[in-house]
Amino acid sequence: MPSALPIARDRITKFTNCRILKGDQLVEQDLWVSSGSGKIVRSQEAFYENLAVPDETINLGGRIISPGLIDVQLNGAFGFNFSQIPDDPLTYAKTLRQVNKSLIETGVTSYLPTLTSESQYVYKNKALPHLGPSGTLRHASEGSESLGAHCEGPFINPTKNGIHKVDNISYAMTFKDLEAMYGAEYINPTLDPLDGSLRPPVIKKITAAPERGNMIDLISEITGRGIIYSIGHTEATYEEASAAVAAGATMITHLFNAMRPLHHRNPGVFGVLGIAESLPRPYFGIIADGIHLHPTSIKIAFNSHPDGFILVTDAMHLVGCPDGVYDWTNGERFIKNGTRLTLAGTDGKIAGSCLTLIECVSNFLNWSGASIPQALKAVTSTPAAMLGLSGVKGSLESDADADLVIINEGIAEFGEKVLTIDQVWKFGTKVFDRSE
Amino acid sequence: MRLIVRDDPGSASAYIAKYIIDRIRHFNPTPEHPFVLGLPTGSSPVLIYKILVEKYKAGEISFENVVTFNMDEYIGIPREHPESYHTFMYKHFFSHVNVHPRNIHILNGNAPDLEAECVAYEAAIKSHGGIDLFLGGIGPDGHIAFNEPGSSLASRTRVKTLAYDTIIANSRFFDNDLEKVPKMALTVGVQTVLEAREVVIIIVGAHKALALQKCIEGGVNHMWTLSSLQLHPHPMIVVDEDATLELQVKTVKYFKSIEQVASSQGFEQILPSTVRTGPRRKPSQQLTPLSEEKEEPTILSPQPVTSTLLNAPATEYPVRSVTPELVLAPMSSRIAAH
Repeated sequence: MPSALPIARDRITKFTNCRILKGDQLVEQDLWVSSGSGKIVRSQEAFYENLAVPDETINLGGRIISPGLIDVQLNGAFGFNFSQIPDDPLTYAKTLRQVNKSLIETGVTSYLPTLTSESQYVYKNKALPHLGPSGTLRHASEGSESLGAHCEGPFINPTKNGIHKVDNISYAMTFKDLEAMYGAEYINPTLDPLDGSLRPPVIKKITAAPERGNMIDLISEITGRGIIYSIGHTEATYEEASAAVAAGATMITHLFNAMRPLHHRNPGVFGVLGIAESLPRPYFGIIADGIHLHPTSIKIAFNSHPDGFILVTDAMHLVGCPDGVYDWTNGERFIKNGTRLTLAGTDGKIAGSCLTLIECVSNFLNWSGASIPQALKAVTSTPAAMLGLSGVKGSLESDADADLVIINEGIAEFGEKVLTIDQVWKFGTKVFDRSE
Repeated sequence: MRLIVRDDPGSASAYIAKYIIDRIRHFNPTPEHPFVLGLPTGSSPVLIYKILVEKYKAGEISFENVVTFNMDEYIGIPREHPESYHTFMYKHFFSHVNVHPRNIHILNGNAPDLEAECVAYEAAIKSHGGIDLFLGGIGPDGHIAFNEPGSSLASRTRVKTLAYDTIIANSRFFDNDLEKVPKMALTVGVQTVLEAREVVIIIVGAHKALALQKCIEGGVNHMWTLSSLQLHPHPMIVVDEDATLELQVKTVKYFKSIEQVASSQGFEQILPSTVRTGPRRKPSQQLTPLSEEKEEPTILSPQPVTSTLLNAPATEYPVRSVTPELVLAPMSSRIAAH
């Protein structure tokens, strides 16, 4: 009876015969992880200082170890939409836990649960209380970890609303307006009731249109609280976007989508990836589902600033669900057909994507000619750096959190590369194995 | 002296790796009777370690009951420094095989009392019954471990100042900055090496040809510390053709012919069987107190010949390996693990 076996508190696992992702390379090197600290072990020091030897050695047969994938824009999954309040609100937290456990099996070990433009009621009373950083207890069994909520809206431009409900869209003149919308307790750091330490705000990232209201002046207020300000759903000109970057914007939400297209007379938001204004170039999200963007547009964006390139799914809650027609909050309906998600009754208006992050990585690999390490960086170390979590998440360096995916490199029918998730490890413990 | 000549560094390294594996397997080490292996760092042994790791992964050899002692370590750089010998050993060998860390001995260059560290190291070697096989390499100036030219041939583990040549040579590992190169090291002494029951040296490359010539064809000389090997009963030097460039044709032919004749007659230049299995204690001996009398020098308890020759202060250190204290094995150790 397996449950009768003692559970070792600190179990060291050594991976060998593997290629680990380090920077732009796959390095043949062993990797030690600890289930006790949940971190990657400084193996040489543990070996000499603590006379530690691995409790288990796993031969990966040459497969790739990548840091666990990070999705900074995920609206929901497995039928659960973070923005949709269930009829019985008490089930929200319970369903969320279930989603986290399913989500981690896709290789996404941490993510930003993303809320579309909603009403004050949904933000303050229903969703945000559940979506804050969830990894403080470091329990592997809890599944994918929230790094904080991503509020995509409602301070966006109504003419670039995408599928956001126009009625919910608002604008802010002062920071009080943001507090009133999201709730002051979710947008400000809070004191830990136990030890009095300062905890980061529930919200990790806000997507807003810089040209709306007084947003340009509010950017520093947002970033000053440790929240990422991301430009998106916007009519911003190149000049307005540059001003936002100068004010502290470090991210662009789904580049090219829901913003003015690149025009040679005014390059719009995309222009800030040029180095014209000697401003630091922001990171930017890219949806590589083959529908939102032409593969060549993705290549242009990647080549313009490889270190800022982040792949996101922007997946709706229907990822992981069977094909069919589904109801949407505002009374409209979605048609899910494979990885394609459109709004019913329109001429195929895109309604978010419906594929997993590792599928985005495979797509990008095949379209761009980028190397596997470059493609994996876009879902590991780059999003971690964007979130200010370098060396903690998205990294295989010693002392980083031991969130890992074991990736198999396959070739599909027509010769395209396919990466598949064979195993997922969270905080040094295996939580998913395809072969089991 | 056995001198084994091979065509290239690869086959010389493979010869030594195979030799070590054969020695360990024949020795049949157990937790109570481990094989004690002396290990070097540097560029020459890298390939040997690589082959040993491959053989371990192929299941041909286990290092479970092998105790290791390293030759040397820098003073004053952190243990985790990329150029420390701890890091070298971890990277090239220990992290890939099943040597248990508690069986590993490397001098601590950051010990608060370096002198005590050296004395303890010698004591640790003795408590394990001495070293069964000391693997080594040499520098172009013939130094073994950090026993630079001019080191006493009766030396023991100690703090050593590095020769200017060595510091320059090492600067390539420290951003070519002489200031960053450690100036001192801890090293086993020449005598420590000579007390091993067997010494195996790898020498490859034309740049070491002169050192090989001095150590084999020259006399015993403290300016070429490896030449002290001439006083050891069971040394073996494995070289590639390039390393023989300075030797006389006659010397090379002689050593080649020994190997050839030996193998054609169906025996190899192996050690006496008692050396090959190590000094195993018989159960009856464990119960009788050991006599205080010194025995005649034998290969089982090598006497420091040099200390006799050079009149080294033999009383400063115990001259023969102290028999380890009797440790009664618990009954549980007789039950096979797992």
